[in-house]
Formats: sequence, C-alpha cells, structure tokens
Amino acid sequence: MTKRWLVLPRLSWRNVRRQWRRSLLTGTAMALGVAALVFSRTLGDGAHEDWIDSGVRMGSGHVAVQDPEYRASRKLEDRISATDLEAVSAALEAPDVASYVERVTPRLEVIGLANSPTSAVPVIIMGVDPAAEAEFSQLGVEQRLVEGRYLEPGDRLHVYVGKRLADRLKLELGSRLVLSAQDATGEIAGQLVRVVGIFQTGVPESDEGIVHIPLSTAQQWMGVEGDVTTLAILLNSAWVVPRVLRSVRARVGEATDGVSVLGWRETMPELDAAIKLDDFWGYLFNIVLFVIVALAIVNTILMSVLYRTREFGVLRALGLTKRETATVVFTEGLMLTVLAGLIGLGLGFGLVWLLFRNGLDYSGAIESDFTFSGVVLDTLIIPVFRWVQVVMSLGSIMVIGVLASLYPAYRATRIDVAEAMKFEA
Amino acid sequence: MTQRTWWRIGWRNLGRNRRRSAVTASALAVGYFSVVVMVGLLKGLVSEMIENGTGIITGQIQVHAEGYLPDKDVYATIGGREGADVEELLAVVTVDPEVQAATPRVYGGGLVSTGSATAAALFLGVDPEREPQVSTPMRSVVRGRQPVAGTNEILIGNEMARTLGAEPGDEVVVVVPAIDGSLGNDLFIVAGIFRTGLVDLDRTFALLPIDVLQPLMAMPLSRVHEVAAAVRSPWRAVDAMARIQAGIDGLGLDAEAESWITLRPEMVEYANLSEAMEWILLMIVFVMAIFGVANTMLMATFERRNEFALLLALGATPWAVVKSVLFEALALGVIALVAGVVITAPVLVWWYQAPPDVSWLFGEYTLSGALMRPVLRVEYPWAMGVGAALALFVTAVLAAVYPAVRAARVPPADTLSGR
Repeated sequence: MTKRWLVLPRLSWRNVRRQWRRSLLTGTAMALGVAALVFSRTLGDGAHEDWIDSGVRMGSGHVAVQDPEYRASRKLEDRISATDLEAVSAALEAPDVASYVERVTPRLEVIGLANSPTSAVPVIIMGVDPAAEAEFSQLGVEQRLVEGRYLEPGDRLHVYVGKRLADRLKLELGSRLVLSAQDATGEIAGQLVRVVGIFQTGVPESDEGIVHIPLSTAQQWMGVEGDVTTLAILLNSAWVVPRVLRSVRARVGEATDGVSVLGWRETMPELDAAIKLDDFWGYLFNIVLFVIVALAIVNTILMSVLYRTREFGVLRALGLTKRETATVVFTEGLMLTVLAGLIGLGLGFGLVWLLFRNGLDYSGAIESDFTFSGVVLDTLIIPVFRWVQVVMSLGSIMVIGVLASLYPAYRATRIDVAEAMKFEA
Repeated sequence: MTQRTWWRIGWRNLGRNRRRSAVTASALAVGYFSVVVMVGLLKGLVSEMIENGTGIITGQIQVHAEGYLPDKDVYATIGGREGADVEELLAVVTVDPEVQAATPRVYGGGLVSTGSATAAALFLGVDPEREPQVSTPMRSVVRGRQPVAGTNEILIGNEMARTLGAEPGDEVVVVVPAIDGSLGNDLFIVAGIFRTGLVDLDRTFALLPIDVLQPLMAMPLSRVHEVAAAVRSPWRAVDAMARIQAGIDGLGLDAEAESWITLRPEMVEYANLSEAMEWILLMIVFVMAIFGVANTMLMATFERRNEFALLLALGATPWAVVKSVLFEALALGVIALVAGVVITAPVLVWWYQAPPDVSWLFGEYTLSGALMRPVLRVEYPWAMGVGAALALFVTAVLAAVYPAVRAARVPPADTLSGR
C-alpha cells in the first residue's frame, strides 16, 4: 500500500511531462502572472517605504508624542512640559524599544507670520534642536540646500527658510526678517532673525510655509522654557511602528499626566490614504491579471478533462481506485502550479534584481516634482525584497492552482471505465 | 470555395464546444473590461486632480501684471500704479465663449486676532458676487454665511476658526501691511466659516470684500493683483488664454494671461505619465490573455486533426485551412468584444453618474497639491475603448497563428489512416 502511494506522484509527473505543450502554455501563463506580481510588489513596496520615509522625516516622525489637544488646536497652550518630556525619553530607552529608535527630535511649533519690508506670509515656525533635526528632517542635505547652511548648535537669532518664502519676501542670505506669533501669555511677540540658509524640497507648502529656528530661541521668545509641542521619533523601519506604539503608550501612560503617542498613520492621514490608494491600484491590477490567468487555466483544464477521458480510463483499468485516480490528477495540477510558481518567482525576482538592483530611475520621464499627499515622489525607486512577497505570490497562484485542479480530479472519479477506454480523442 | 464558406466553418466550429468558447471569450472580455474600466478610473483621477487643483483657488486662467508671479509682489498690480478699469478687464475676459466666470482679487498677508488668540492669514479680497463661480471657499461655507460687499465682514477657514476660537458673529481685528508702508487695521465681523478640506488653505486663507481690503491696504479700487477665471473645459483653457491675451493687448494693458497648464505644470506632467501608464496596462493584460486563447485554439485544432486532414485531402489549400482557423479566432473576438462592451458600458455609466464612495477603504489625500475625494470616479475612456477593442482582435488572431499553421501542416494520409 505504501508503495502504491509512492507511485502516484510519479504518474502525475509523467502526465505533466508527456503533455508538454499543454503544460508549457498553462505553466507560462501562471509563471508570468507570478512574475508580474513579484515585479509590482517589490517596486511598489520600495516606493512606499520611500514615501513613508520622506513623509515622516518632513512630518512628525513614525511616532509623535504630543499633548492630546494639540493635534486639533495647534495652540501653544497645549504643549508638553519638560517633566513629561523626560518621562517619554525614559520610555524610549526601555530595552524592548531602544533598538528600533533611530532618532528623536524635540520641536516647538507655532503658527505665525514672517514679515519683511516687502510682504508678510503666514508660516509654521519650528523651533528645533539643530544637531538632532539635521539628521532627522534632512532639510540641510546637499540636494535641498540652495544657499548658505543649515542651523548649527550655538546659533541664536538665525533662521532657515524655504526658497519660495525667500522669493516672496525678497530675502537673501543675511537678510533680516521679523517673525511674529502669539506667546504663552497671549501677547503678540516679535522676534528678529537673520537668514542663515535657504532650502528647496519641491513641496510648495513646505518651501513657502515652514521656517526653522533654534529651539532655545523659540522657547525664550514664546516664554515656554524647556517645553515643546512635539517630540518626533524616527524608527529604523515603518514595520515596527505598532510594536513601539504599544510599548511606549503603556510606559508613558503611567509616568505622565496624559500625553498622546501617535503613529504616522494618525498624524499624517493623507499620506496613509495615498499609500492605501496606491495599494488599491496595485491589488486591482493583480486581481485582473490573476482572473485572466485563472480563466486560462480553467479553460485548459476543462478541455483536458474531456480529452483525457481515455487517460483516466487507463488509470482506472490499471487498478487505481477512484481516490487514487483523483489524487494523481490533483497532484498533477499541483505540480504544474508549484513548478510554474517557482519559475515565476525566479523570473520576477531575477528581472527586478537584474534591471533595478540599483533602483528604477524614471526621472527622465518627468521634469517637475510630483507631490503625493505633501510628499515629493523620489524619481528613484529602490525595490524592496521581503519574504511576505514570496508567500503572497506563491499563495495566490497556489489557491488558483488548487481550485482549478479540483474539478478534473472530481471528473476523473466519475467516469465509466469501459466507456472511457473506447473514447477517441 | 468562397470566403463566406470559410467564415461559416470558422463560426460553426466555435459552436462545437460552447463551454470552451465561452470561457475563452470571457477571458478576452474580462481583459477588455479590466483595461477599459481601469483606464476610465485613471482618467477620472486626473480629472479630479485638475478640477480640484484648479477649482479650489487657482482658477483655470489667471491674468496678472507682468512680474507678479512667482513672488506675488504686492506692488505689481495690473496696469501699474494707476491700476486698470477692472470692469472693462473683466468684460474682456468673460466675453470669451469658453469662460464661465471671472473674478478680480487682491492678496495681502497679515494677522487676524480675537484679542485672546491670533492667527497669521493670507487675505484674499474678493467680489462676493463673482468669486463663488470661480473658486470653492465661498461655496464651502459650513457655518454662518458669505460676507457682503462693502461691509467689514470676513470669511475664515475652519482650521483658523479653531485656532482663534472664533464663531460667526464674533468680532476680530485684521492687521495688514499696506502698500504705502503703513499698517492697516480694522475691526471685522466673522460672517462665516468655510472648509475646503485642504488643511493649509483652511488654516491660512481669509476672504474679505475686495472693496474693503483695498482701502485697508491703501490701494485705490482700480488696483487688483489678479483676475481669475473658470472655463468650461480645462483642456480648452490654452486656446481661451490666447484669445484673452489678445483682448488684454487690445486694451493696451501690460498684463499677461496664464492657464493652469503653465501655472501648475506638475499636473500636466502627471496627466501625461498617467496616459503612458494606460498603454502599458493594455499591453500587460492582453499579453497575459494571449496564453489563454492560444491554449484553447491549440486544443481546438488538435481535436479536429481528422477534419483538417479530410479538407486537405479533398483539395483545400493549406492557406484555406489557416483562414478557417483565423476566422474562428476573429469570430471569437467579436463575441468577446460584444460581451466586453455589454459588461463594461453599464459599469462606466453607473460610476460616471454616481461615483461609489470608497472612504471605508482610504480617506482624502492630495495629489500634486489637489485635494482628492475617496470616490471611484471615471471619465469615459473613448480612445481606450477603441484601442482595447483592436488589441482584443490582435490578441485573438495572434494567439491563433501557431495553431492555424499546425492545422495546415497536418499530413492528410497519415492522419486519416490513424497513424
């Protein structure tokens, strides 16, 4: 009995090989489907990783700690105190979290007006720790720096402004401007600052609407010594956000009188929506491909069932039970699926690796910057390889393969042996 | 035999295994449906982007003094220091058949304060009668009402209202630098609060009557920064722009008309990129479909080896056999196309009339600075409807070439004798 079960896979394998043309066509369709899936997932995940990274760097990090009211009010009175800040910092150093934390930067954000002799423009004034922020938002890196330099530790009355703002206010390096905003006591306070550098991100809202000044200057000016509005935290991957959120929330909840710990999906719902939209398109396209592949497979199988009546008859005549016949036919479909799936995986990953290992650069296709929910799309997509892509691609083709193999297996049990032997294809 | 006979043979062969023909045709029909609907969605996305991106505030055509953009220099008003006859200018713009409405604007940056809270604002002096026909803020009043011309009333965004803690009816102080170097300030009543959904806009924009803002900024009523116009179709904006420019030149004004195409170049590029995507989509889908069809045709012809052998033995030329197989594929294409159109058209019409809300799937997002609603909006993809039909036939015929050639090469004697 044991031996007979060993024979069945061999029979199946021979069937696959003997009908090589049929196997080849069906297999090619399946393999191409898997390859297309792998192709779109590796590049898609790469693009998403990139968006999230630039989004959180410009925004408030993968994880942001704020006063619960701040997100809605954007008011200075809803800030976190120096003592709460310490409790949060301690929570970030806990052993289960510390290894994921890449950078932490404190920010004091106020909405105010930038005035120059020629004009006045509403801006978000960010008081930042120059050393920490330089690594975090990377506003000072070469590609973004137009002129001058980023803020440095020790700077006092310096300001780092965007290109569009500089143009509108007719500012140059060394120009003076007055920032005015409402301080902690409710009075309008002015602060004279000098332009130390000019940046350009390609996002009009940032290039016109954000200025950086040293945190200490901002705190003094606003009269909130030691306090900040946001503590932005950058993790080493977007994938660990839920884990870090859970741990920090638990620890911070005990130690402070109420701060909220938010993930990037909450602080940047637009970016979240943009990524979900892109995923939606990706899945839609994959479903379409797979429906077409499935139809091709179903068709081949429907036909071969009719066609193979005689084959099935022979199997039965050789003494295989109904169950065994069904097993042979089912295994056959499975083998073809696995084989095609593996080839498809190899093809997909191989092509991506061969063509885009150093990134897919489509900067030639477009000239200006595209922004998607406030993030400039990088024109270089570095593909990301993950096990989950392998599991997903193989999984989907297996589902199709199994479903498509069930029917012929069922049909193989329903034939009349004597009649089948007479059947001429 | 005549052409007709081969057609009929091809057609009848399709009917011999109806289930198989149906599955094959449905693979092609599903391909057609997917491509056309996906392209319709892509086109809807682009239209949504352009309409919302230009409709919220920009307008599809703008007229400014030369040198006003990109700095938005407050001194650079249309017609220089003396200004222009605004009514005459508006008449020149609105006379164009493509233009739906036009509105004059004055911009100024300043502060709004309730006494206890202050917000920085971008003041937009508007004509309350005309502005709603061009941009959204005045049409998106969520509380209160629109400001009335000639009165000290102001319309602010909901984000700014939240910062200020202001409600309709509240008194606010408006402070704005005037062009003579002084600081204009006056008391205003909050007439209403708007919400466009673009947070940046809802936080910074404040609309007040143009004839009130101009004196506040020490500007005569003849000086405006901009005339913004809405057109019937964004794609015809460029032609309208050229005609308007001619009209302005006729007035002897030193001003330039610009369309959204130059004001928002990234949108045009996105539209072009999206169009390139459409054809890639078409190719991938039908390349996949080829395998399904080829497989079926191969089986179908293999089954009929004896018949082909008989035809050949009776003196049919190999070409005639090839033709019958190709005709069969073409007929299959016709069935698939009819089925494809029958399933595609209702979906497109339905989604065009009432785009399904997919806010359960994703929320509002922005594309090139335009706010996008989470709906499955489509535009009719006429070109792709035809293009995909052609691709469908090409796929069917291409997939049939190899089986057809094999059928024509059947050795008659051996096959008929069962060897």
